[in-house]
Amino acid sequence: MSAPHPRRAAVTGIGVVAPNGTNTEAFWKATMEGVAVLDRITRDGCEHLPLRVAGQIRDFDPPAAIEERYLVQTDRFTHFAMAAADLALDDAGLGRSDTDAAPFSVGVVTAAGSGGGEFGQRELQQLWGKGSRFVGPYQSIAWFYAASTGQISIRRGLKGPCGVVASDEAGGLDALAHAARAVRRGTDVMVAGATEAPLAPYSMVCQLGYEELSTVDEPDRAYRPFTTAACGFVPAEGGAMLVVEAEGSARERGVPVRATLAGHAATFTGASRWRESREGLAQAIRGALDEAGCAPEEIDVVFADALGVPEADRAEALAIADALGPHGTRVPVTAPKTAVGRAYGAAPVLDVATAVLAMEHGLIPPTPNVFDICHDLDLVTVRARAAEVRTALVLSRGLMGSNAALVLRRGAAGAS
Amino acid sequence: MSDRITVEELAELMKKAAGVTVAPDELQRRSDSGFDTFGLDSLGLLGIVGELENRYGTPMPPDAEKSKSPRQFLELVNSALLAGA
Repeated sequence: MSAPHPRRAAVTGIGVVAPNGTNTEAFWKATMEGVAVLDRITRDGCEHLPLRVAGQIRDFDPPAAIEERYLVQTDRFTHFAMAAADLALDDAGLGRSDTDAAPFSVGVVTAAGSGGGEFGQRELQQLWGKGSRFVGPYQSIAWFYAASTGQISIRRGLKGPCGVVASDEAGGLDALAHAARAVRRGTDVMVAGATEAPLAPYSMVCQLGYEELSTVDEPDRAYRPFTTAACGFVPAEGGAMLVVEAEGSARERGVPVRATLAGHAATFTGASRWRESREGLAQAIRGALDEAGCAPEEIDVVFADALGVPEADRAEALAIADALGPHGTRVPVTAPKTAVGRAYGAAPVLDVATAVLAMEHGLIPPTPNVFDICHDLDLVTVRARAAEVRTALVLSRGLMGSNAALVLRRGAAGAS
Repeated sequence: MSDRITVEELAELMKKAAGVTVAPDELQRRSDSGFDTFGLDSLGLLGIVGELENRYGTPMPPDAEKSKSPRQFLELVNSALLAGA
């Protein structure tokens, strides 16, 4: 079903709250410079756990960003989402009066991997410590995967189509694709992305069962995908929200089209079946290229999933080769997430934010802590590489078996 | 703690249970205004009812959590406390 003039979905705003920067400028500077911020976990109640290293956000002050009545009824993952949504809307030049003038034209979609674990733990401790009468009613909504979408919508008065995607790490890309579809169907603006907060005691214990998790306690050695020293991944908190807008709407408002979401596809190959993920990821890449009308040779950079598990890394390198052909060994590949860890569903959204910024700055950021590559990939290491980036491919896989690929094209604004 | 819930106590509970800051004298002056105009939603009011039940060790009337205004709420919960005393 292709209309003669399809409404293209543009990125017009970026909001990032990440371990290496709690605003988009700080995030880009640290990402471009390859500053690794992985560190020992210092959250209360976490120090004794065998998971020692993560990407923790240390300079985010919730009361400075969010009104108290929203803070008390939400988990940390929703605090990040509300703050990132504010940054993205502000970046897109959409103030409260703009969205109030057409509230049904602005929707929200987020992805979430685990919901509000810290809030949930507190209330469950009340339940077992004092009794059911001591569990607060906001527990009913705060833990929930859809909490961030709902709270962003309520707090900003956004009444357009809303949704949540719970499809594993790759859900971050699926949420952006969902937003692009909503735009193509007629909604002018979607606030879309993902944030996670997996670094509280209960949430961390839940992760200990993942065999892919790195338990190495030296921060600069804990997450080194595509090397012979690959020993798993480390988790991160935070994420990004984007403003995804109809290209025509952006033109009318006179704001730059920074990139377009040109193609997406998703597949499923089963939990921890990394060898099989080769075929699933390759198929997702082909699907995304097909939807974007993009030849493999047009891809100027690949943002890798980079799980850091040898079998999974091999499957990803082979999937890139399968789907891109000889171009797969020549195209620059990067994994800036080795600086901050994997923020589950938010990890690929941070990569999409980075891809847009890379297009605008003509710089591919490096893959910190990764040096000797044992796969046939041109991985960008040590320092950022100058390159004209017109088209970017972002890859994501989830521990539970989801695979997704997203193709972004540079907008008119990025052509300078 | 008295055997009557005052606007001061209600203001304190609104802050504690729902993060809504309102001065007691404003709550008194606007006691017929809807809770929503203070920024308190239905889950917030439910949390206040739960907190009161825990504090006073007695169930509140089922309609308390459906009260529209501070005046209506205080009348309901105070009559329950009085009856329980």
